[in-house]
Amino acid sequence: MNAVPQLFFDAASLGGIYAMAALGIALIFGVMNLVNFAHGEYIAFCVFALIVPSSDAVAVMFLGKAPAILLIPVLLAFGALIAVASEYVVFRQLRNANPVAMMISSFALGFVIQNALLAVYGSRPKAISLWPDLNTPVSVVGASVPLLQLIVIITTLLVVSVLALLLKKTRVGLEMRAAAENFTMARLLGVRANVVITGAFALSGAMAAAVAMIMVTQTGVADVRMGGQIMLVAFIATVIGGLGSLPGAVAAGFLIGAVSVVLQAALPLEARPFRDAFLYTLVIVSLLLRPQGLFASASAKPRV
Amino acid sequence: MTKLGVYDLEVRYGKVPALGGVTLHLQEGERLFVSGPNGAGKSSLLKAIAGAVSSSHGRVELDGDIITGKSAEAIARYGLSMVPEGRDIFSTLTVEENLRVGTGIRADKQAIEGDIAEIYDAFPILGERRHANAGALSGGQQQMLAIGRGLMTNPKLMMVDEPSLGLAPNIVDQVYDTLVALQQERGLTLLIVEQSSARAARVGGRMVLLRGGQVVGDGDAAEFAERDLLKEAYFGQADQSKSTEEAL
Repeated sequence: MNAVPQLFFDAASLGGIYAMAALGIALIFGVMNLVNFAHGEYIAFCVFALIVPSSDAVAVMFLGKAPAILLIPVLLAFGALIAVASEYVVFRQLRNANPVAMMISSFALGFVIQNALLAVYGSRPKAISLWPDLNTPVSVVGASVPLLQLIVIITTLLVVSVLALLLKKTRVGLEMRAAAENFTMARLLGVRANVVITGAFALSGAMAAAVAMIMVTQTGVADVRMGGQIMLVAFIATVIGGLGSLPGAVAAGFLIGAVSVVLQAALPLEARPFRDAFLYTLVIVSLLLRPQGLFASASAKPRV
Repeated sequence: MTKLGVYDLEVRYGKVPALGGVTLHLQEGERLFVSGPNGAGKSSLLKAIAGAVSSSHGRVELDGDIITGKSAEAIARYGLSMVPEGRDIFSTLTVEENLRVGTGIRADKQAIEGDIAEIYDAFPILGERRHANAGALSGGQQQMLAIGRGLMTNPKLMMVDEPSLGLAPNIVDQVYDTLVALQQERGLTLLIVEQSSARAARVGGRMVLLRGGQVVGDGDAAEFAERDLLKEAYFGQADQSKSTEEAL
């Protein structure tokens, strides 16, 4: 087995998941300065939307039974829907509140979603098998890679390019970028705040759904708490990438994925259980050296 | 015909009053300069009219429609455009993207390209740098871009907050000359914040003097400039805004 390509595929696919989750957070932070801690719960919500509501240990597919061509768009729409609904119910009411109040409410919203899932599905993790065929290994440049890893990498690149195109080429994309830089000025030019914010939440929710599908296929488990872990990493990626910077979030997502895969391979066996301690030490070091984020642009300064 | 009517408008930041009951009128096609010392409430007046800050009392009418209390994005649809102090250019967007942000509210989509060409005509440097990031422009170029961007919503009334701030004198003249030319071409109504009565008098127009959040003077810009000049002759080179104020 060829170790280096193997490592590359592991790193790129893990990084891809982190990057997509981080993008979902960065999008919303960009337009309304809100770190939406409920984002992880959007992911969990999308996972559970795949199965029949019950507290049994084995999951019975519900939406998950649908063919991929139907399932993927429906689940993406589901993710967009819960994100937009939560904006409407919670964040819109707090539009003029200070950012800390909004952030705390996002925690509260996350707990509400999590406990609703707990009430309906029970607390035990469930075995769930979505597209098990994708875990069969294929041979690429001497490495044995599960098909899913390739799909994740391609999907990430696809999602990032589609998002970039959307932001660069469409009217709402232009308005979102303008609003992300200066919301008041954008509104003075007639940009509708609600349109931009709803758009950001819809995109962010769809991104959460994409992450949900990938995580479920990869791990084969549906757990009510699964959102927390990925949310933590994704949040760190957005901070390291420079809060609000979309390319930064993607780059930092891949970086964290790569570092954690490399640490897993390179650390001595006795130290491997403490991989995350090493990873987060590097996070602290990076923040000490560049508190504004690794990829924050210097061009955003106003001129007199 | 009255374009803009401001009636007893008050703005407070917490308990601090910034604008204490301002009343003024602007006729269609008119050019009005608003002058006054720092903290007189000039920017607050513009922001309150445009809906960027909310007023605590009074009302604003545009073409007879009451726009007080409406959101900034709604007021923009009434045909009011504001170029804020400090420009507030979108520095991560290109020059052309900056111009296009405000075109979403226009019904005459086919006229947009023509308007962009017209702005590149008025400010050739913007045309040359249309694909550059706006953050890389000089201060003068950013001011030109801010004015061009303000025009792209196809306004009937445009408010420009201190276009001369931080610019070299020859650039200031260029900016004003273009503003006046664009106004005549489009039948715009202009409200401009300008500290210097001399600069206002150079292009001509009516001038309103604000102090302590209230209107304390109203007249021809040339008259203000003359009084300021006289003051200067007697008392030497004083701060112009201050001498305008003392002249009253």
